[in-house]
Amino acid sequence: MKTSLFTKVGLFATILTLFGLLLPVVSSAGEKPAVGDYSRGAKVWSNNCGRCHNIRDARELRDDQWFSTAFHMRMRAGLTGQETRDVIAFLVASNKPQRKSIFDKQAVKTSGTVGKLDGRAVYNQTCIACHGGDGKGTLPGAPNFTSSKGPLSKSDAVLIKHITEGFQSPGSPMAMPAKGGNTDLTVEDMRAVLAYLRKQFGK
Amino acid sequence: MKHPGKFTRRALAVAIALSLPMTASADAGYDALKKQVEQLQRQLQQVQEALKRQETKVNEVKENSVTRAEAKALESEVNAASEWKDPNTLVHMAGYADVGYASGSNQNGSFKVGTFAPIFHFQYKDLVMLESELEFGIDENGETEVGMEYLTIDWFVNDYVALVAGRFLSPVGQFRQNLHPSWINKLPSAPPGFGHDGAAPTSETGLQMRGGFPIGNMRSNYAVFVGNGPELIAEWEDGEFGLDGIEAEGKGTDRDGEKVWGGRFAILPMNGLEMGVSVATGKATVTGIEDDTGAAPSLTGEQARDYDVFGFDTVWQHKSLTLRGEYVKSKVGGAITGATASDGGEWQTWYAQASYLLPATKFEGVIRYADFDTPHDSQDQKQWAVGLNYLFASNIIGKIAFESNDGQAGAASDSDRWFVQMAYGF
Repeated sequence: MKTSLFTKVGLFATILTLFGLLLPVVSSAGEKPAVGDYSRGAKVWSNNCGRCHNIRDARELRDDQWFSTAFHMRMRAGLTGQETRDVIAFLVASNKPQRKSIFDKQAVKTSGTVGKLDGRAVYNQTCIACHGGDGKGTLPGAPNFTSSKGPLSKSDAVLIKHITEGFQSPGSPMAMPAKGGNTDLTVEDMRAVLAYLRKQFGK
Repeated sequence: MKHPGKFTRRALAVAIALSLPMTASADAGYDALKKQVEQLQRQLQQVQEALKRQETKVNEVKENSVTRAEAKALESEVNAASEWKDPNTLVHMAGYADVGYASGSNQNGSFKVGTFAPIFHFQYKDLVMLESELEFGIDENGETEVGMEYLTIDWFVNDYVALVAGRFLSPVGQFRQNLHPSWINKLPSAPPGFGHDGAAPTSETGLQMRGGFPIGNMRSNYAVFVGNGPELIAEWEDGEFGLDGIEAEGKGTDRDGEKVWGGRFAILPMNGLEMGVSVATGKATVTGIEDDTGAAPSLTGEQARDYDVFGFDTVWQHKSLTLRGEYVKSKVGGAITGATASDGGEWQTWYAQASYLLPATKFEGVIRYADFDTPHDSQDQKQWAVGLNYLFASNIIGKIAFESNDGQAGAASDSDRWFVQMAYGF
């Protein structure tokens, strides 16, 4: 059948848009992209997944399964490539086993003293995406630090253990990954952020 | 020369006499010494045997143990092991399925097998992904139905652009492309007008470009597509042909040669809030007739009609509360030539939905209102739906829901319904 002028113009405009916009980016396709960042990935994870569906446990799938799933979700949620790499970094980090090293006898020993590191910086980098700036949680099931019956009612040793190994709050649809997904966190970092939590949100 | 014999013999006799007691004493010392030596020999032998046993044990320990350095190296290797890093191609399966029970005010209650919809991913590095979702179901006669929801090859051109070719879920609105899987949809049914042959297009076959990019502190996402477009169905009613419906389901052949193009653009001004606008435009032609008289005319020479779609969607998620709404209108123009020449028509629908996960529980309440308006009174429907979900896990959801439907008296759209559904996303 005869194609109308309107459709022809629309078709031409669409094709022009598709390939015209592609030209400048194809030439840069070979450039090595920036690697993923787990901290940004945690924010992408917490800010995007829940808009459409319940947030899945970050340790639910293997790394290779998360890889394909993340690219599937890039298409669904309109993520950028960098956001996709970030969220993969977060998920891969969440999957890393946080076994206590057989050579690290001090792994979960707590002294109750504040480390030299800045707990606020650790919180803003690793925890704030899910727990929020006000400590009340940004995701369904994320606990309220300001509640007198919340996590801060527990001892330092228990909380350090939860941070180290990961923890799923009762009724929460997802678990906090070990060390919040940041495998670089040290015991001193965890002590520092715990001291910050008690100072900032503790009753 | 003196003869020494006598003196020598005397001296010898004296010496023997003197040495007799000494000889007896030497024998006793010798015996003691001998015993001592023998005892030492036995002790030495015992020590040697003990050493040998010890040496054997040491060797066994050496064979069955590692050094600290070896253990640390192994620990590092285990921690660094990631099988997905090596292969160029990944194969992955996801998807969803649901089963349940449905009962209507004018139909018998029935156990249902909803849909088994595996999604296959074949991914080459971070460059290309083949995606396909199949749909398996059972019809009323128990026969297995198989369909292809979508099949695309996605080329990730760069961080902001992906080029998609094949049959893809329609980018118009949110429900069809993101919310229809049963483990995601908070209620067991789709809102009226968002199912097949409704107001919202379900899929398209063609070419699509989509992605996301930041706008200052905001984020955005987009999709632009061109495709074969829908086909129209006419029916004989009241002595003339009229438009019955729009089949916007990713036709494999463009029988009228008229392409449809369109897209969606959405902004996310803050975390949890997304607002999108969708449009599509082109031409569509009547290619089928629902006719019980057996006198259906030939459809060659049918006039292509204007086809335009407009949609708006929004979602706001804050902690345990999610609010969403969507509006879609599909408009088909009239035709003045062809066997099915008739006036055009509009199909429009909207819904608003709220869901809330009760704190510290796995129970989720949901309520939805929808209004589907078509050129045919028998298809019009207003619906209230309420449901209670139990999250066995984030991806395994038990649902119980009730729909209060208001449609033309006696029509299926007027039947209230109960649902129980178990949905599993994998």
